[in-house]
Amino acid sequence: MKGDFLELLKNQGAWREPVTGTVTSPPIETHGTTVLALRYKDGVLNLGDRRATAANAIMFDRAEKIMPLDDFTLVAIAGAYAKAIEVVRYLRHAFKYFARTQLQEISLEGKLQEVSRALAGNLEMAMQGIGLFVPLISAWDQKDGAAKIYFYDGMGARFESSEFGAAGSGSERIRGVFNYIERTKGPFADRSLKEVLQEGLYLLDIASDLDSATGGYNKILPTAMTVSSDGVREISEEQLRTAIEGVKN
Amino acid sequence: MYTPYDWQQNLTHRSQYVEHRIASGSPVVGISCPKGVILATTRTTARKIFEIYDRLIFGGIGSQADLETLRISATDFAHSEGFTRSEDDVTVQRVVGFALSPALKRAFADPMTTPFVAKALFAEIGDKQADDKFYVLNCEGEYHAHEGHAIIAGSAAAEEAADAVLAKRDKGKSLEHAAASALIAWGAAKHAQEELRDYSDEDEALKRLNQELEGASVEIGWLERETQRQSKFSLWPAERIDAAVKMLK
Repeated sequence: MKGDFLELLKNQGAWREPVTGTVTSPPIETHGTTVLALRYKDGVLNLGDRRATAANAIMFDRAEKIMPLDDFTLVAIAGAYAKAIEVVRYLRHAFKYFARTQLQEISLEGKLQEVSRALAGNLEMAMQGIGLFVPLISAWDQKDGAAKIYFYDGMGARFESSEFGAAGSGSERIRGVFNYIERTKGPFADRSLKEVLQEGLYLLDIASDLDSATGGYNKILPTAMTVSSDGVREISEEQLRTAIEGVKN
Repeated sequence: MYTPYDWQQNLTHRSQYVEHRIASGSPVVGISCPKGVILATTRTTARKIFEIYDRLIFGGIGSQADLETLRISATDFAHSEGFTRSEDDVTVQRVVGFALSPALKRAFADPMTTPFVAKALFAEIGDKQADDKFYVLNCEGEYHAHEGHAIIAGSAAAEEAADAVLAKRDKGKSLEHAAASALIAWGAAKHAQEELRDYSDEDEALKRLNQELEGASVEIGWLERETQRQSKFSLWPAERIDAAVKMLK
């Protein structure tokens, strides 16, 4: 009994093995688009527009792309929406299953490794352009007492970022803006949540101007969550509307 | 030759064997109140109350190894079902009635195996207090549903004694009141199970509880109805338990 959720599912015949083989004509998948993770002085802010697209069609304008994995871990997803949601469900269960069977919380390193394993498990199809998604993980490390941001490539390689992370089609367009803000206004990690939320909204707005797959915040409010020593918290609609007013003015 | 008489004798012996083994166990008391559902007991070293799934908790009396087998079986079933179907489809009725009860019955009826030395109390929290449920499962696979509160103890007389105490007490005032009621019911059950008779006098119950606390500690686990945390379950810290115990003195 190792608390391995994947092993449990396989033993019970409840695990759907990833499809293998060569795909001649990849299907058009629904993709989640731009998500951001920004440090602020007490934790990490995650911000994401609500758009999901399939090729040049807007499939949905209320997609949830930022989700808690547990009380101290957030995931922001970009890429193949179906696979990403399945993996998020898997990870939530895997973390809880470990904690409930082993009677101890899974470590941050253990959580990050499980994310890599989930990505690597879909590698064959991802290489053919099916089910490829990239998660951003934001966590409060209870051992170190610090906020952390991690981003991944599609094969499961993990990288830690001290200040910010972004994924999705709009993120490439605004990559330089993060550096510009950091150089001109100082590290995100030194600034208040209010200031960083406003920066995040500017970034999302610029991404939506430059990337047709990014929804921005004008029509539908984005999703915004934080993780800090207090755990995961959702930014209220009221807070978001106030911050958006500040950006517009 | 194995006769019908042997078969009946075998079941009687097995039933008596289990009753004898759990006769001195520490009772577990469950109470539903507006803020959530609590399970209370005492322990010397090993933990006694566990989270099974998002809305399910468990406590038991009997052999530690058998209780562990029940706990893991319930946890495995709940997580596998919750992942493949939905979290909402994992209910105490399915876990106890379908995942555990038939297996316990098979073990009890098989003369070549040792029966489970265990009696278990499962609690499920609902969206409203009226939806809270308790299930008591015995070594023969028999189970009974309870509402409001439930007790498992080493004898039927002990359970009746605790039930009589709880019937007289106000359980809904506050969470600490509910915990204090659970502890006094624990004292009544423990006293009655040692005296081998129904004994629902609160003074005697308190005396027995205080005597127990000289060498053991109280353990209270609960499911919180309204919480910002991802997990509804937590074990009460020592200060909170002390506050409930002080209400009895």
